[in-house]
Amino acid sequence: MVELLAWLVLFLPLLSVAAITIFTRGNAARSGAISITAVVFSFICGLVLFYALPESSMGMPIQIPWLSIHDQGLGLDLHVDIGLRLDHLSLPMILIVTGVGSLIHIYSWGYMKGDPGFARYFACLSLFTFSMLGIVLADNFLMMFIFWELVGVSSYLLIGFWYERPSAADACKKAFLTNRVGDFGFLVGILLTWATLGSLNFRDLETRLNVHSVEFSAVATAVGLLIFCGAMGKSAQFPLHVWLPDAMEGPTPVSALIHAATMVAAGVYMLCRVFFLLNVDGSQALQVIAWIGGITALMAALIAVQQNDIKRILAYSTLSQLGYMVMAVGCSGPVPAMYHLTTHAFFKALLFLGAGSVIYGLHHEQNIWAMGGVRRKMPITFWTFTFGTLALCGVPPLSGFYSKDSILAQAIKDHHYGLFVLGVVVALLTTFYMFRLFYVVFKGRPRTEAAEHAHESPSVMLWPLFILAIFSIAGGLLGIESLYARHFEAAVAGTEPGFWDRLLEPFNEQLLAASFGVLAVVFGWLWARSLYRNKAVDPLPEKLGWWSQLLRNKFYIDEFYENVLIPCTQDALARVADFIDRWIIGTFAVRGTANVTDVAGRLLRMLQTGSLQMYAFLLVAGVAGVLYWVLGK
Amino acid sequence: MLTAIILCPLIAALLLCLVPRSFVVVMRVVAIVATFISMVLAIIVFWRYDGAAMGLSGFRFEQQVDWVKSLGISYHVGVDGLNVGLILMGAVVAFAAACCGWEIRERDNERQKEFCILLLIMSGGILGAFASLDLFFFYFAHELALIPTFIMIGVWGRGPDKNYATFQITLYLSVGAFISLIGLIALYLQSGAKTFDIVGLIAHVKQHPIPLRDQNFIFPLLLFGFGILISLWPFHTWAPLGYGSAPAPTAMLHAGVLKKFGLYGLIRIALPLLPEAAQSWTNVIAWLCLGNIFYCGLVAMRQKNLNWLIGYSSVAHMGFVFLGIASLSLIGITGAVLVMIAHGFLAALTFGLSGYLYQTTGTLEMDRMGGLLRKLPFLGTALIMAMFAGCGLPGFANFTGEVTVFFGAWKQFPLVTGIAVWSALVIGAVYMLRAIRNIFHGPVPEQLMAVAESTWPLRKLPYLVLLVSLLVFGFFPRLLTDKITPSAKKIIEMANTPSATPVARVETGQVVSVP
Repeated sequence: MVELLAWLVLFLPLLSVAAITIFTRGNAARSGAISITAVVFSFICGLVLFYALPESSMGMPIQIPWLSIHDQGLGLDLHVDIGLRLDHLSLPMILIVTGVGSLIHIYSWGYMKGDPGFARYFACLSLFTFSMLGIVLADNFLMMFIFWELVGVSSYLLIGFWYERPSAADACKKAFLTNRVGDFGFLVGILLTWATLGSLNFRDLETRLNVHSVEFSAVATAVGLLIFCGAMGKSAQFPLHVWLPDAMEGPTPVSALIHAATMVAAGVYMLCRVFFLLNVDGSQALQVIAWIGGITALMAALIAVQQNDIKRILAYSTLSQLGYMVMAVGCSGPVPAMYHLTTHAFFKALLFLGAGSVIYGLHHEQNIWAMGGVRRKMPITFWTFTFGTLALCGVPPLSGFYSKDSILAQAIKDHHYGLFVLGVVVALLTTFYMFRLFYVVFKGRPRTEAAEHAHESPSVMLWPLFILAIFSIAGGLLGIESLYARHFEAAVAGTEPGFWDRLLEPFNEQLLAASFGVLAVVFGWLWARSLYRNKAVDPLPEKLGWWSQLLRNKFYIDEFYENVLIPCTQDALARVADFIDRWIIGTFAVRGTANVTDVAGRLLRMLQTGSLQMYAFLLVAGVAGVLYWVLGK
Repeated sequence: MLTAIILCPLIAALLLCLVPRSFVVVMRVVAIVATFISMVLAIIVFWRYDGAAMGLSGFRFEQQVDWVKSLGISYHVGVDGLNVGLILMGAVVAFAAACCGWEIRERDNERQKEFCILLLIMSGGILGAFASLDLFFFYFAHELALIPTFIMIGVWGRGPDKNYATFQITLYLSVGAFISLIGLIALYLQSGAKTFDIVGLIAHVKQHPIPLRDQNFIFPLLLFGFGILISLWPFHTWAPLGYGSAPAPTAMLHAGVLKKFGLYGLIRIALPLLPEAAQSWTNVIAWLCLGNIFYCGLVAMRQKNLNWLIGYSSVAHMGFVFLGIASLSLIGITGAVLVMIAHGFLAALTFGLSGYLYQTTGTLEMDRMGGLLRKLPFLGTALIMAMFAGCGLPGFANFTGEVTVFFGAWKQFPLVTGIAVWSALVIGAVYMLRAIRNIFHGPVPEQLMAVAESTWPLRKLPYLVLLVSLLVFGFFPRLLTDKITPSAKKIIEMANTPSATPVARVETGQVVSVP
């Protein structure tokens, strides 16, 4: 029964892909219905598993052998299952993917209405759900890599959904290629792990790690960093972060589901899944991971301050929050990372869907300076968006406060004081740029015709906002943290904390972190309020001068990649290779050989004159020569 | 059974000689039906093949008829795990290629008959080469398939470089075939087994290994002879040029199937019969394979013509097979065979689709296209899927093969494997996605506003067959690996053990040098 449910969770979305592509491509409504049904049923199966699965069958193997070669010569087994692993890490994650996914599928029904590619859109969305669930449920490295790639391709298809727009076509290509760079490291890391420990299965690896700890510690840092490359690509960490802002070319619900709530979190999830490989003695990988996360968080928050596209601001905010999560993993805190991942999925999906609602209401206007006063026109969107903003900024007692606080507390606990300060600064910046967005879009007067005539979205788009808003508000009080803690820490004896304990937990646990977190929010809000209340133009560029230029252009990292790094490395090599192939091998060697043969042939042809006298003369000359040779000596 | 698979296209070719020139439809139907029967039979053989229940010689569906007894030549066919998948792949591709003959029909009605006959001969030759267990027929069948290739490129080829391409491919491949022929004859002579039968040769060599000196002489002949046929770097320039000019069905059959002949020869013949030489050459092969995977991948990035791009990418993919062979490990060889099969389907699919695209748009210059996905939904979807298969997307058989090769080769050649992984994941994706971006995404240029797909469902059939094959083996690789591994194990055991008996080697060395 458990097995059947688990397989259903994974394969229902794939069935929907198959059904849509084979049967209902031409029928928009039916395709959408199939896709939505599949993801909702997947969610229900997940719920049943989550509540009904007994503790004893946690982590029991559910496997179908996929590839199995036993190599005696190498002394290694290449054994890969399509195997599902149900435990306290994967089960909540399934609920996030299918739950948030269901809401976004339903929202899309309204948002995408009338698009000629409606059926294709839902097929891709189902493909994405399938792949993402594969990553979550995978019980071995190669299966995870397989679904990792499939997630990449579904993201490619959805970013490039409006492929006739050159910007979308370029963005999807960039996203896939940047991810592939990370995947290169990931695959090499998998190969190295396999060659050292002799297995791909996570459970086997965990037991073998104890036996072969000496061999492994020699490569531990390398393995950790290589695997982190994969997370760097998928979770868009510096320096592979460049694809995520461009990915906003996709439809807004896609940005909410894939590029905010779930797929970009896959990197963090993967790091938590293999945390036992990172957290070994003699490995420096976690240090690097923590600092990369911190740098990403700060850099993205700074850039977000000077963006003007509503989706891009949210995209940089996503980057920044992902940086938080990665930083938490680096500070040896997978639990805070997963906690923040969960709450972030709620409020960031909410913010993106809210932004989508605004964009929809303003007829696809995305520039925040062309909005204003949307509050009165779209009250429901406004209120839900407000709660999303407050949750993201970390206002107690909303969900974001608890998860962010647990990360800051973890930084102190792990003696990363530098990162703690950095985290507080990022929290301040987060509040600042979010309230900038808030004031400019929703408050003040309408600044354009479109904003003047904005209208509230249909109810099919508003219900998902409601539900997400509830979770964004109450997410911190549901005991999500202790759920994940059960996976990573040995069972903590004692009673479950009560409601009031949970509410005040941050202040009891680590007062310093909690108070700094709250202070950051207050100052960030005051700062934004003083600058942006009732403003029609951005006052900041004047004050910041060239800094503003730098931030607006994202520190010129894209320009550096496009004009310096890639042309000087891979493209240059390609030019050289092409030159060699065309001129040296193609012309010099091949045609050269041909020409030598040709010239030799011409020379020899001179002997074949066809003149009998000539032949007779040569014959005689030859005979004379031989005679001289034989007799002359 | 195997004989029927081989003979079906050949008999059909004979029959077509009797059909009047004007019966174009009959010829098409005969060609398609004949290859279809071959394909069905090959599927049955594949389905019924059971690695565990192999006979004494290790082969199933065997059939042997003596031909020239004094030289030890016999007609001997049979399958084991190595070639059963290749025969299936060859038969499927032959069917698809026959279905793709439409392109020719519309352009050149006059010579329809010759084209069909040559295509059928080629199909029969290819299947014969893979089924054959006798060196003589092995080589003969390959030549039978190779020569029609030249004629087809020369007569029905396209593009301004057609004549030069025909010229180059003919010379190149003839030289390659000739070098490998010398190698095979030397092998026959030096083994002292007095038989062309591969099973007999292997049995003989097990008892009396070929002296090291001879091995060191023969192995390079086979490696570079076959290497030219497989477009091993730096002998690869014929491939993109030739495929760029070839008519689609020819390119499908040659790039997909015939090219695998050399690789198959290396695994089937060179590794077990010349084990010590093979071991001493593995390093060279491993580094040469980067010439294919890395270097040709880079060159592919610079191509502007779709057919050239696919040509270079197909050359690049051959490198994975070489890497698998160089690893001399069970995982590596299994992966190599997987890649051979997967790439067969893939190359046929991409060349078939590019032929279709050329027929629809009249150009393959990628700069002159754009946004065609809206205009050509089926063709576009299929080609995009093929492109993703080509850059190693899981779900397609190519991924399984490539990743298996990486696992097999990592321990011995970590650096080479690392570069190969980079090329497979990043460089492959760069040129494939660039092609998709240029051809199918973006706005549609003015001159292509009017293009449309053929609505005839049969037109899609060959591509669907190939796509489904890629997906089936991508989803269920054990269909292949369970068959390949036991047979590959035998090869590996022969390739890795003989150095354990140095005494016997010295003795045989003396025996040979005495007369």
